Amino acid sequence: MWKTVARRTVIMIPQIFLLSILVFLLAKAMPGDALTGLLDPSIDPAAIEAQRERLGLNNPWYVQYWDWITKAVQGDFGQSFRFKLPVAELIGQRMMNTIWLSLATLVLTYLIAIPLGIISGRYHDTWADRFITGYTYLGFAAPLFIFALLMLWVFGFHFGWFPTEGSVTPGTKPGTWAYAASKIYHILLPALSMALITTVTTVQLLRSEIIDTKQKDFITTARAKGASESRVYNRHILRNSMLPIAAFFGYEITGLIGGTVFIESIFSYPGMGELFLSSISLRDFSVVTALVLLYGAASILGALISDLILGIVDPRIRIK
Amino acid sequence: MKRKRLFLPLILALMVMLAACTSGGGNGNGGNDPAPSEGENSPAPTESAKPPEDDGLYSIEDFSNVKKNEGEPIEGGSLTFGLVSDTPFEGTLNFNFYSGDPDSQVLGWFDEGLLTWDKNYVYTNDGAATYEVSEDGRTFTFTIRDNVNWHDGKPVTAEDWLFAHEVIGDPKYDGPRYDSNFTNIVGMTEYHEGKADTISGIEVLNEKQLKITYVQSTPSLLTGGVWSYPLAKHIFGNMPVDKISSSPEVREKPIGFGPFKVESIVPGESVVYSKNTDYWRGEPALDEVVLKVINPTTVIQQLESGSVDLVDSFPVDQYPDNADMSNVEFLGNIDRAYTYIGFKLGKWDAEAGKVAPDPNAKMGDVNLRKAMWHAVDNDQVGKRFYHGLRWNATTLIPPSHPEYHDASNPGLAYDPELAKKILDEAGYKLNGDYRTKPDGSELVIHFISMTGGDIAEPLARYYVQSWQAIGLNVQLEMVEFNTFYDRVGANGEDDPKVDVYQGAWGVGIDVDPAGLYGRDAIYNFPRYASEEQDKLLAAGISAEAFDVKKRQDIYKQWQQLMVEEIPVFPTLYRAVLAPVNKRVLNYAIGDGTGIYLHQLAVSQDKPFVAEK
Repeated sequence: MWKTVARRTVIMIPQIFLLSILVFLLAKAMPGDALTGLLDPSIDPAAIEAQRERLGLNNPWYVQYWDWITKAVQGDFGQSFRFKLPVAELIGQRMMNTIWLSLATLVLTYLIAIPLGIISGRYHDTWADRFITGYTYLGFAAPLFIFALLMLWVFGFHFGWFPTEGSVTPGTKPGTWAYAASKIYHILLPALSMALITTVTTVQLLRSEIIDTKQKDFITTARAKGASESRVYNRHILRNSMLPIAAFFGYEITGLIGGTVFIESIFSYPGMGELFLSSISLRDFSVVTALVLLYGAASILGALISDLILGIVDPRIRIK
Repeated sequence: MKRKRLFLPLILALMVMLAACTSGGGNGNGGNDPAPSEGENSPAPTESAKPPEDDGLYSIEDFSNVKKNEGEPIEGGSLTFGLVSDTPFEGTLNFNFYSGDPDSQVLGWFDEGLLTWDKNYVYTNDGAATYEVSEDGRTFTFTIRDNVNWHDGKPVTAEDWLFAHEVIGDPKYDGPRYDSNFTNIVGMTEYHEGKADTISGIEVLNEKQLKITYVQSTPSLLTGGVWSYPLAKHIFGNMPVDKISSSPEVREKPIGFGPFKVESIVPGESVVYSKNTDYWRGEPALDEVVLKVINPTTVIQQLESGSVDLVDSFPVDQYPDNADMSNVEFLGNIDRAYTYIGFKLGKWDAEAGKVAPDPNAKMGDVNLRKAMWHAVDNDQVGKRFYHGLRWNATTLIPPSHPEYHDASNPGLAYDPELAKKILDEAGYKLNGDYRTKPDGSELVIHFISMTGGDIAEPLARYYVQSWQAIGLNVQLEMVEFNTFYDRVGANGEDDPKVDVYQGAWGVGIDVDPAGLYGRDAIYNFPRYASEEQDKLLAAGISAEAFDVKKRQDIYKQWQQLMVEEIPVFPTLYRAVLAPVNKRVLNYAIGDGTGIYLHQLAVSQDKPFVAEK
């Protein structure tokens, strides 16, 4: 297996390299640059031009790309024009927030999806099943940002059960229990809002897999051999039905990192998704390119994780 | 806020794309300055937030910019300030370095400028420093008050003030402040280019006194032309200039001399301040202020539930639905901004650094421009689209500058029949649905406008329809903020396809419009120039313009000239609204109200909650 990991990692390098060129070209193709929005008549255009020159924005793209990639491989992603901070430091600040949020969402997603999927699949065409599939259709139809706003309004403002913005109560000291508790408390509502929507795909997938597996010959065989109903479901059906879910796991992670964009902005939760969007509109190229690379690397990694998990869960599949 | 930059671009809808706004260094509403300077008379607190009239329209005249004080202040207390933004604040927490408006909102609580200004934006002697001007108007002597100290107890000195100038003038300086106000200091250019080790025009007289000599004496010096934010030399003195903005002393433990001290910061989302008992104006009434970033989509709920007492900006389009929110009082003020329609009349000559008007430009005929102004009904636009909270604009100096805005100048009124007549007489003949040029060739006018907000597109469409109604074939294109300014020529490369555009400017506290309409201004997007205008603009900042009457007359003439020549025409002026929880006392928006942050107090422990 380690061989596979090594080989896949090696393949990743040219992939990321290609991605980086593409991203760089696309970023440069956007009209304007970080200085375009800086319309201030009291600043001499010559001074702005000098700053462009200093930042290397006037060089041809391949020169700019070379400057950027040589530094990037050394871990220096440049300076954010807007934040006046090294990009790596800036992303580092935001990444932990996004990771915690994604992790919480992931846990909640599976906590919701697995029981619902099992109930719905095992007792299909009952009222419980209809109720659950009804919910999944609603989930498919509801746009995440509207749903999140609704959740925020109901549980944040109307009932006041959850904090409505930020990642931590202002003024709590980092490193204390109160701080950690406050962080978790702040994550709950955004994570739940997102999980309730993203989980519906998994519920549906699990349901149809279970229904599908139920009718397979080996299940009939197992029943004929006198296996108890719970054994049939827990050992035979569930294990087989979990395969596609497991395969999906890696992609789920990547999807989450991207999917937090709306949630982060609605809950005023400073994370990477929000950083990505605002950096695009402000043409903060160094941040945009670094983030796209990060997302790219994450999705390639996600695919790798999915393959590995699949190999572990299903002995029939072995990656050579 | 307390920034002195002169003009800032505005996008059409404040609520959407605040990010884009901050790229321009703030949304230019400047109406939330919590520490305005003492004016000789503060506006009388009139009854504010009147119930809507029958037609559902509101008027800025019904709002006061000073909070009614109801109840007695309690001892101490804590207040929550909502920074309305869909992006976290950047965290460059020093006046000498920040660039976005969110940061300036964070800064305003713990730091301030040494000079304050009155409601006409003229520097007063009520601030942390006083000033005297020499006979020739070029040399300013500043004296910092003895009791002005940094939060760490060290005195704010003339040396600190000089240091701020040295850092901003340094070629390695990475902030946006090195502008014409700095190049106007004697010896600054030499220092900036490395030809001199010191700035010859700045002299430290003693610990608390500083003398600055300027190259040119203009009335603009008194309205925001002086850099008044010192930089603590005992903290930053040994740092390389290009490392200051990312240092922890700017980002994590920022320092100032304002009424509150920074207690703790969660990057991008919240700040807790405690009172600075050593504040030079006196000990603040509040014990604590909490600032938190809130999303524009939730601002109403935050206010209703009392989660925030104050906000830095309020989406005006949500006012009609929430005008009767029971736990807040809405304050209002006229924004230092206007929306306008511009006509491209030439190109930018980068070589010469001047505009190059083209007499043969498609929009070059003043009659065509005049007809297009007469064709649009901005009064109705304000009423229909903005419930009266934006209203018909008449001249290019908005009423936020009451001293210079010429209220007697009516601009050009809505009169489509007159518009048609003007076009007929100028030779634009109807040929089928649309008119042709006087030489008989086809006339297609390309109009671009910015996206953003729900109103942007319908509004642009309204203008197109109005122009089509007088027989002009106008083609609309909606573009995003960066693209828009790129194409109208923010980089000097004007897109020749653009004939007409709709933009907005937030204007600075100084009235001089040369940065937007002068011959050598790259932001003169219409690329208009005339000798008469050159004369007026020069006169407006000449020595004789120190006489306010004289200066008023000059800018009155300029406003009239712009109404006659119409390189651009203003469409709407706008209101800023600020909801304030009823428990908040001693609060005002706008300039020169004489109400300061250290007086801010609350009448009860918990905020009022809206009754449903």
